[in-house]
Amino acid sequence: MNTVTKRAYVLLAIILAFIAGVSVLGAEFALKGETWATSRVNGHLYSGNEVKIAGKILDRNGVVLAETEGSKRVFNSDKTVRMATLHTVGDTYGYISSGAHTVCRDMLTGYSFVDGIYTLINTGEGKDISLTIDANLCAEAYNALGGKKGAIGVYNYKTGEIVCMVSAPTYDPENKPADMDSKDEYEAVYMNRFLNGLFTPGSTFKTVTTVAAIENLSDIQNREFNCTGELGTAQGGKIICNKTHGKIDFGTAFTKSCNSAYAEMGIAMGADTLESTASSIGFGRSFNVSGVNTAKSRFSLDGAVEIDIGWASIGQYTTLINPLHLMMVAGSVASDGSTPVPYFVVDKKREEVTEQLIKKSTASQVRTMMRNNVINNYGDALFPDMSFGGKTGTAQVAGEASHAWFMGFSGDENFPYAIVVLVENGGGGSDVAVPIASKVMKELKNSL
Amino acid sequence: MATNGNGQRRQSQTDLMQQAASKSQSSKPKRHFRWMTMLLFATMFQLISMMPVMVNAEESELEIATVFGGFILVEWLYFICARAFAKQRATELEIIAFTLSGVGLVTVASVNPDYALKQFVAILIGLAAFIILLAIMRNVEVISALRIPVAVAAVGLLGVNLVMAETVNGALNWITLGSFSIQPSELVKVAFIFVGAATLEKLQSTQSLTRYLIFSLGCVGALFLMRDFGTALIFFSTFLVIAFMRSGDIKTIGLISVAAVLGAGLIIYFKPYVASRFEAYRHVWEYASEGGYQQTRVLSYSASGGFFGLGIGNGRLRNVFASTTDLIFGVVCEEWGLVVGFCVILCFAFVAVYALRLARHARSTVYSIAAVASAALLLVQLSLNVFGVTDLLPLTGVTLPFVSRGGTSMICSWALFAFIKSSDIKTYPILEKQMDE
Repeated sequence: MNTVTKRAYVLLAIILAFIAGVSVLGAEFALKGETWATSRVNGHLYSGNEVKIAGKILDRNGVVLAETEGSKRVFNSDKTVRMATLHTVGDTYGYISSGAHTVCRDMLTGYSFVDGIYTLINTGEGKDISLTIDANLCAEAYNALGGKKGAIGVYNYKTGEIVCMVSAPTYDPENKPADMDSKDEYEAVYMNRFLNGLFTPGSTFKTVTTVAAIENLSDIQNREFNCTGELGTAQGGKIICNKTHGKIDFGTAFTKSCNSAYAEMGIAMGADTLESTASSIGFGRSFNVSGVNTAKSRFSLDGAVEIDIGWASIGQYTTLINPLHLMMVAGSVASDGSTPVPYFVVDKKREEVTEQLIKKSTASQVRTMMRNNVINNYGDALFPDMSFGGKTGTAQVAGEASHAWFMGFSGDENFPYAIVVLVENGGGGSDVAVPIASKVMKELKNSL
Repeated sequence: MATNGNGQRRQSQTDLMQQAASKSQSSKPKRHFRWMTMLLFATMFQLISMMPVMVNAEESELEIATVFGGFILVEWLYFICARAFAKQRATELEIIAFTLSGVGLVTVASVNPDYALKQFVAILIGLAAFIILLAIMRNVEVISALRIPVAVAAVGLLGVNLVMAETVNGALNWITLGSFSIQPSELVKVAFIFVGAATLEKLQSTQSLTRYLIFSLGCVGALFLMRDFGTALIFFSTFLVIAFMRSGDIKTIGLISVAAVLGAGLIIYFKPYVASRFEAYRHVWEYASEGGYQQTRVLSYSASGGFFGLGIGNGRLRNVFASTTDLIFGVVCEEWGLVVGFCVILCFAFVAVYALRLARHARSTVYSIAAVASAALLLVQLSLNVFGVTDLLPLTGVTLPFVSRGGTSMICSWALFAFIKSSDIKTYPILEKQMDE
């Protein structure tokens, strides 16, 4: 009898195991409840797969970009604004995974562990969120692209706020075209090219090679290059230049964007040096932009021969860059080599990370070179009162027209913005991308 | 030794008498007050939860009101009779049983008013089973005499089940008789513990152990053939508890467990479809529209409710298949709140502690074993249900005792509480008096 009643303690083991299970369950609710409650299986928030109820999404000036009316999601009343901000706001189905509708769904529902989504259900109102973008600026930028595919981004390189972010092709979420999947003009329409795209950088990459040259070639400022319109390489093959520049120095090579000179520098430094510089500038890394992990820029010279190194030094070969990353490079050149990681949601919790992409002393030399580039090639009239510096790129892509690029920054302390413009298969950087950048920067200056 | 033992007994008897004396003088009104407070509290909770359901019931409002009124009336009648006529001094178990049944009844009625009456009848039958079983359990001789017939009836019932079973949700564990469908495995749970506890009292011989082993193997095997793996697991764990209580032989029990794990491994190896039923386990979000459908909905909607719920009737999990049976924990969490949901499951932990205390001082090993095995069975089944729908354990489709819709499940839950209560000497005031004398 006594032994049997003692054995009753087996029940205690079961009770303790059960209590442990209950504790795990409670902890799971505390830790994962937000993800669970805001998932797409939740019929309170989604009908089918579509968001039907959530807080407002506002731009930096309080312009409503998306809100719930009844139990339907509606977007801004202006079609151009809807199209220009689509990739930032996101669609209601979550096809655009980088949009606020997806990235901020936890905030938009106003979920809390204690209240669940009670407030949202009972008032029909979630928590409103503000974005850092300016809807009108985005619309202007989108118009400036003129219907071409591409991406435009502008941010404050002191604070990290993205004030303009446009990706094209886009569509009107209030009137979604039915046959998008089959049409070439809607290629990768759900991707935010600015955050998640990768493109051949062309001559904009010369800023990276410039950084490497300043830091690794000791006599670079006194060196003289002789451009004959092409550069022969050891194993055969030639790098073609855009012109025959003759005898030029380092600064002129940058302003003229001389391929021969830059390929020569790259070959002189070698694959390892170029790779390590690219890596410290942020190639191969993803940045967390308000919860969106950006595409990793690529620079690899694995098994590359001399001519490959030459092409890679001028942003060709297998080199690919993410537009936001290039914008960060422009921003860090303007600001002693460092930049905050950009963001586009005001209230979202984020770690304030500052990235030192370039050494401080190097950055100031590159800054001067880019500033001279604007003075000599495009003129300050395009960027009035901004002490603007920039670099164009015309990236050759196989079988199609070149990508037109421009990266630049305002050197004005009180107007600390950097911009990147990409027009896919748009043609020459200075002819196509510079005018767009000029228009957007002037518009931004006027709006402030 | 003997003298010492006698001395202790005499000592404890004096203690008991002193306690009884002091009780009759000072603490009696206090106790009286306590059960009344508890009952009032439970009734208030029930009335508050019933109101929104009645408001939303529309055309079946009268029926719902009658059912809810009937439930509260029966509840009060039971406590008054138990206290006044049956001289019951400990009614904690019944308070918990009625509270849980009430949560289930209100939830089930709010999801579908047509279920209300059936669920109420189930509670009535459960209560009747509780009282009858308490009467049977009073006497060890009666238990002994009933042991073989009950075992035969249980095996027979499962046999009949195997022959005329209907497949419901992938398991063959239902028998339909006219408009009633019963789940024999639920009734056999009661028989399983009854036989297990009674056999042990008889002889601690190899023969009786072997008999019980064969009986258990028959039950678990039949459930496997019916593909009711959840219930098979519940039986198996209960068997382990009973076998341990009886023999204390950890080595043999370890061997049996290893054999069972190997057997389960073999089944999965030769019948891969068994494993494929559990492929979504711990990956429910990847299978959110297939094997993880129910679990993802339970998690999402439970979290939506927060601590205090979205309000009864305002949930959405109610529209998901099996919301009133397997998934009812999620419905309670979403609509009543996580606080109520967790209180419901913690009630069972309290009952288990209560059962453990009674088992330690039971008047015979029969009652110790019955109480411990019942509490263990309830906890295992509750775990399979609650942790199954929340993806901490594989989803096996067993009910939440007292709360889930279903007649046989309700009867079984009340019967198991009867086993626990029967181990308390205070349940039988006459026996208590005899022992004192």
